[in-house]
Amino acid sequence: MAPTQKPKRPVATTVNDFVALPLRLPALPSYPREATHHLYVRAHAPKVPTASTPRELFLVNVPADATEVHIRSLFASQLGGARVESVAFEGARVGRGITAPVAPVRRKRKRGVEEEDGGEGEGEKEVGALPATREREVHRSGGTAVATFVDAASAELALKEARRAAKSGKATIVWGAGVEGKLPALGSARYLAHHRLRFPARHALQESVDAFMTALSAQEVARARALARLRSQPDEDGFITVGRGGKGDAAREEAAKLKGEELAKRQKKMIGEDFYRFQVRERKKDEAKDLVRGFEEDRRKVEELRKRRGKARPE
Amino acid sequence: MALAGNKRRKLDHVSSGDEEEDNASFASFEEAENAEDDVSDEEMDEDDVDEDMEDGSEEDDDEDGEEEDAPGSKQEQPANGADKPTKQQLAAQIGRKTGRTSAKDALASGASAFTSGTFKSNMFKLQVDELLENIQPRQGKREKAAEEALHVLKKTIEQIPARPAQEIEQAERGLAKEKIAIPFPDPRPPKDAKYKLEYARPSNINVVGSHALKTSNRAREVAELDMVIQMPSSLFQEKDFLNHRFFYKRSYYLACLAAGLKKAHAKAYNIQFQEMHGNALNPTIIIAPKQASSEQAEQKPVLKWQVNIVLAVAQDVFPVEKLGLDRNCVRATDAPDGSSANAPTPFYNSTLRSNMLVTPYLKLLHKAATSCSSFRDACLLGSSWLRQRGFGSNIAAGGFGNFEWSALMAALLSGGGPGDKPVLSGGYSSYQLLKATLQLLVVKDFSRQPFVIGTASTPPKLQDGSPVLWDEERHHNLLYKMTPWSYKLLQSAAKTTLSMLADQKFDGFESTFILRTDNTLMRFDMSLELEQTAFIKSDPSKTSNVQQSLRKLYQTLQRGLGDRVTLINIRQPASGPWNIGTARPNQHSKGSVTVGIVINSDNVNRTVDHGPSAENKAEAASFRKFWGEKAELRRFKDGSILESLIWSAGENGQSVLEQITRYLLQRHFSSAVEQSAKFMGDEFSRMIRNGASNACFEPFIEAYRKLERDMRDLEEVPLTIRQLMPADAQLRFASIDAPMVGRTSQQTKPADVTMQFEGSNRWPDDLGAIQRTKIAFLLKFSELLEENVEGVSTRIGLENEDTDVFNQGFLDVTYESGATFRLRIHHEREQSFLERQLKDKTTDPKSRELAALALAKYKCDSLKTPAHTQAVAQLCNRFPTLSGTMRLTKKWFASHLLSNHIAEEVIELLVARTFVQPWPWSAPSSVQTGFLRTLFWISRWDWRADPLIVDLSGSGELQQTELQAITTRFEAWRKLDPSLNRVVFFAASNVDQDGVSWTDGKPSKVVASRLTALARAAVSAVEQQKLGLEPASLFVSPVNDYDFVLHLSATATGRKRRSSKAAPAFKNLELETLNDTSLVGYDAVNSFYSELEILYGSSILFFVNGTDKPVIAGLWNPQTAPRSWKVNLSYSTIPVKTGAEDEVNAEINKEGILAEIARLGGDLITKIDVNR
Repeated sequence: MAPTQKPKRPVATTVNDFVALPLRLPALPSYPREATHHLYVRAHAPKVPTASTPRELFLVNVPADATEVHIRSLFASQLGGARVESVAFEGARVGRGITAPVAPVRRKRKRGVEEEDGGEGEGEKEVGALPATREREVHRSGGTAVATFVDAASAELALKEARRAAKSGKATIVWGAGVEGKLPALGSARYLAHHRLRFPARHALQESVDAFMTALSAQEVARARALARLRSQPDEDGFITVGRGGKGDAAREEAAKLKGEELAKRQKKMIGEDFYRFQVRERKKDEAKDLVRGFEEDRRKVEELRKRRGKARPE
Repeated sequence: MALAGNKRRKLDHVSSGDEEEDNASFASFEEAENAEDDVSDEEMDEDDVDEDMEDGSEEDDDEDGEEEDAPGSKQEQPANGADKPTKQQLAAQIGRKTGRTSAKDALASGASAFTSGTFKSNMFKLQVDELLENIQPRQGKREKAAEEALHVLKKTIEQIPARPAQEIEQAERGLAKEKIAIPFPDPRPPKDAKYKLEYARPSNINVVGSHALKTSNRAREVAELDMVIQMPSSLFQEKDFLNHRFFYKRSYYLACLAAGLKKAHAKAYNIQFQEMHGNALNPTIIIAPKQASSEQAEQKPVLKWQVNIVLAVAQDVFPVEKLGLDRNCVRATDAPDGSSANAPTPFYNSTLRSNMLVTPYLKLLHKAATSCSSFRDACLLGSSWLRQRGFGSNIAAGGFGNFEWSALMAALLSGGGPGDKPVLSGGYSSYQLLKATLQLLVVKDFSRQPFVIGTASTPPKLQDGSPVLWDEERHHNLLYKMTPWSYKLLQSAAKTTLSMLADQKFDGFESTFILRTDNTLMRFDMSLELEQTAFIKSDPSKTSNVQQSLRKLYQTLQRGLGDRVTLINIRQPASGPWNIGTARPNQHSKGSVTVGIVINSDNVNRTVDHGPSAENKAEAASFRKFWGEKAELRRFKDGSILESLIWSAGENGQSVLEQITRYLLQRHFSSAVEQSAKFMGDEFSRMIRNGASNACFEPFIEAYRKLERDMRDLEEVPLTIRQLMPADAQLRFASIDAPMVGRTSQQTKPADVTMQFEGSNRWPDDLGAIQRTKIAFLLKFSELLEENVEGVSTRIGLENEDTDVFNQGFLDVTYESGATFRLRIHHEREQSFLERQLKDKTTDPKSRELAALALAKYKCDSLKTPAHTQAVAQLCNRFPTLSGTMRLTKKWFASHLLSNHIAEEVIELLVARTFVQPWPWSAPSSVQTGFLRTLFWISRWDWRADPLIVDLSGSGELQQTELQAITTRFEAWRKLDPSLNRVVFFAASNVDQDGVSWTDGKPSKVVASRLTALARAAVSAVEQQKLGLEPASLFVSPVNDYDFVLHLSATATGRKRRSSKAAPAFKNLELETLNDTSLVGYDAVNSFYSELEILYGSSILFFVNGTDKPVIAGLWNPQTAPRSWKVNLSYSTIPVKTGAEDEVNAEINKEGILAEIARLGGDLITKIDVNR
């Protein structure tokens, strides 16, 4: 992909309802060549709009090294000074569809959510999360993000500015300008940091595990209690719910299944294989059939071999 | 009742099917029994059960008999039913009977071979049939041309005028005028010879050899026809068998023929002399079509044929008794009465006999071909077998070729067993003939005990270990051209083939008849090239008899190397033809002798040799004489005083074997010979750092044992440990670099260990909770270890932080010695949880996919890898060179940037296959042969259609049914995924019968093809360059093939610290980092690579170099071609107008992506090269 070829092909400034915003990528010592990245921007239009939707822009093809700082600085200093409140990146989303990213949260434990029903405190969500191991996340190539601005006007302004910059046809906007020093470095430092963070202090880990375990047992107790209640009290129609008691767990079910299979086998064994004459006959017939089939198979295999390798001929 | 009758009919039908076959084999007595059976059928009509039992028992007898005799033949039955029975099959059926009867009285040794089925399996038989079809002689153009030439030549020869008897000088002069030099053997006839040379019309002209017999292999390059010309007996006198006189007269006769032929056909044919089968005594004329000048050649390629004119004499010209193996026929001139001078001349005598026996052998072969229907096929199979192993009638090729093979079989058809009963039966199938003949070669040692066919007084054994196969009827040693070493090689080849054919799980067809096994580098562990000229000069007797000095070389090496080697082979260059007008060139003045050695890897590196005790005077003297100043008298610990030899373990990079060989060459030949010696064999194992033996893993294995003990000794553990299972290449002798050795004891990668607790029902019922519980256990163990064990440091690490279906925690245990282990807990119920998640219909597809991944990973990490580790480690203890071979092969994969695509375990399986299924060779005994044979196999592996199945037990633990199951699984995968998008390699073993544990998703088809291409290139380099091969050149991989290459900085990646020469100025700093255990397991290159794989994996195919120079190369995925723009593309794009209205295409933004990678890599990347 020689750079000389590029001007020949006209680059679109808009595509569908996206603005294709060219970003200049400064040259690096290891890659001394300027390149252009294309960021696609449009107003956020999720299927299920929320209150904040008017303040949001939907970004496609976000650079892999993008951070909230990058996006903030991009709009603040190079695209009309629109102020970004927060950015949600694709990989960090939980559960919901592609058009509705939410603020980046560490993955919640589902248990945590359930616990809320059990009447525990709201702060329980984050209980027992493992210590973070990365200082800075990177994103999948071609990924998306949702930038939430402080108000709808800023969002509009940002989009307008982006459109203007794209129309000018020149990649005047520089990616990563003004973020120097605000972020942990990439490269070996980042991997080294990850390596160090992977080994959290023992007490921190112990705390996290303990918290998790306490929450878990509390929740189990609560659930057992709820179940017991269901079992013992008739509901409003007068029925008693039949629930899974404490006994049936997966391993037991499997054991029962195994036992069943074994029983069937034993049943079969009770009458010896050569007990009835027809059994012998059928066995023999089967054997003969097997032989014929085996032969046919072999012949087919040899045929295939010949097709693959050509004629059998010493090298 | 009616029903029962119906049933019976069916049964009868089935059994009659059996009888059809049996009738042919069990002749009349079987029929009688059947008749009886019929009667009993009617009599016992009512008593079904009884009859059944009888039937059954009879059936059993039958089956037993067959199982004993012919496991293959049972499978043969449907073959007859489904296929039109061919002549061979009929013969085979008959053969079984005769095979049975003769097997009883035939020599016990051979018996098992004869009776083991007419063929190995259906597959084998079908393939053999096809092969025979393809190699059977065909009346092609070249054969036709050659036959036409035969007629012309015959006419010419008949018209050659007789020449009167002349003195030698006169005769020579006469022929010199016609520009013909008489090809006298060495020594030339004396000038004052009393006898005269004469030419008269041949008494008989005939066509002999494989062409006439229709046993010539079509696959050979040149169609050779042998034309035998019988010299009239009147030319010879009674005493002509003495002192080369016969051969002088023969040479003259040949020269006269050449003169006549030259006169008539010099324009049409190319007429040359050649030593027949490399036998200097027997020159012959070869006639080939003239090479057309270049422009003509382009139009019409010259047909490749050749007529050999073989001279013969009548069988009764000389008395047989005078030419026995113990007779001397070349009287020494200088010492006429010295008994030692008149030593027997077996080779001379046998050569003379062979001239007399051309016609008798022709008759014998014809008789065999007519009496035994599969004789011709067996000859063809034999010739293929010999050819693929580099054997031929030529002395240089071992002296055992098609003729010897067919003659041996023909002779065995008439005798050879005890009481001279035939060893082979005319009813054998071609495969049985082949196998029985091989069996005979293996079981009998012809060099120790001459093998006699026919009843005779035992002929004397040859002194130098040459084999004797005495054909009493014709008074001839069939193997007279074989040398002791070529005989040993033949025996070992036959032995290997037999054990290969006995391997029922393996279709040995390819290895038996198709693959070439004569590549020196792949066949021998060490080779040594010696210049012939240096040899001749070193010979003090100046007889320039190269054969003699080669024998001396063989004996010297054999005695000197002893049990360090299992096989020594010497290969001399084959002599070529020469012009009829020039004197016979000295064939031995140039070229080099190649010595191939198969080592015994147990003994090869022994540094102290014990000789005879000092008290044993005679032996000690002989020992001293043989070893010269190297022999030392030493007292050993047990008090014995022995002559001994001390070799240094690694003196100037020479292996013990090389030291000994060089010393012997110098002592018994000359330093010129020693100087000319070129060794090849250690280079490969030297490429492995810290030596190729298992020993360099010992300290680490010892550390592991300590860990195991420490863990078991812990008290107050929450759950008792059921077992610790090593699950790492470093713990199965297979990591490229041995851990804990070299300058730093610091380990770069902790060795994985899987830990399993005794069962408990207190584990939580939730995957996420199980992962936390594991971490809690690890925390406890970490605490306990640090409290109870001295000099150990532990820490707990996290992995797979984002999802709790995978294992999330591990415990790193580092000992003071530097050994680091990474312990993971394996809880057997994880599997059932994951399986339940998979089966649960309510699970959403994404988590189901995740569960499937987790399940595969769980099985692989917790079950397969430990089992694999154990199996490979055991195999390494069994095959001492396996470890080195695995490490070198991994290095090869790494240097070709394939190691991130092909799992270590798969490479290990590939290498282990070379050891446990070594066919067509036997298990390699050096790194070189192991490595090259592995590459050879990879280069031929058709991974689309063939699974890789390895029995790691090496002792047949893999059952036939299991093998069947694996094959079925493979076929299912191929049916499921015919375009190989997911599983390309199917690699199973006896401990992993799934076959996809390490190959699911990786490598891709592209990578697999590249592997094949690289292996092919390597193999062709090996084949072309032979001994000139520079081993390191196989490890050089051009990076130009990739679209772009990221050159990584050695300092930033931390690789530099390991290299021994880096920054000696800052030794203290260096040591500081070395002692810092926090960096154990940190691998920047790998972290970077795995991140790139996550971010760009769908659009770029990355190749990473796991070892020396850190490089990441990439190929753009062709799926990233321009396409219409959409939101969810998984790569960075440029929106490009297509020209059409409003249409925008998305093109991959290669520059943008590279710039992004450069930012991500930061200081790791020094340079990015873009090739395309």
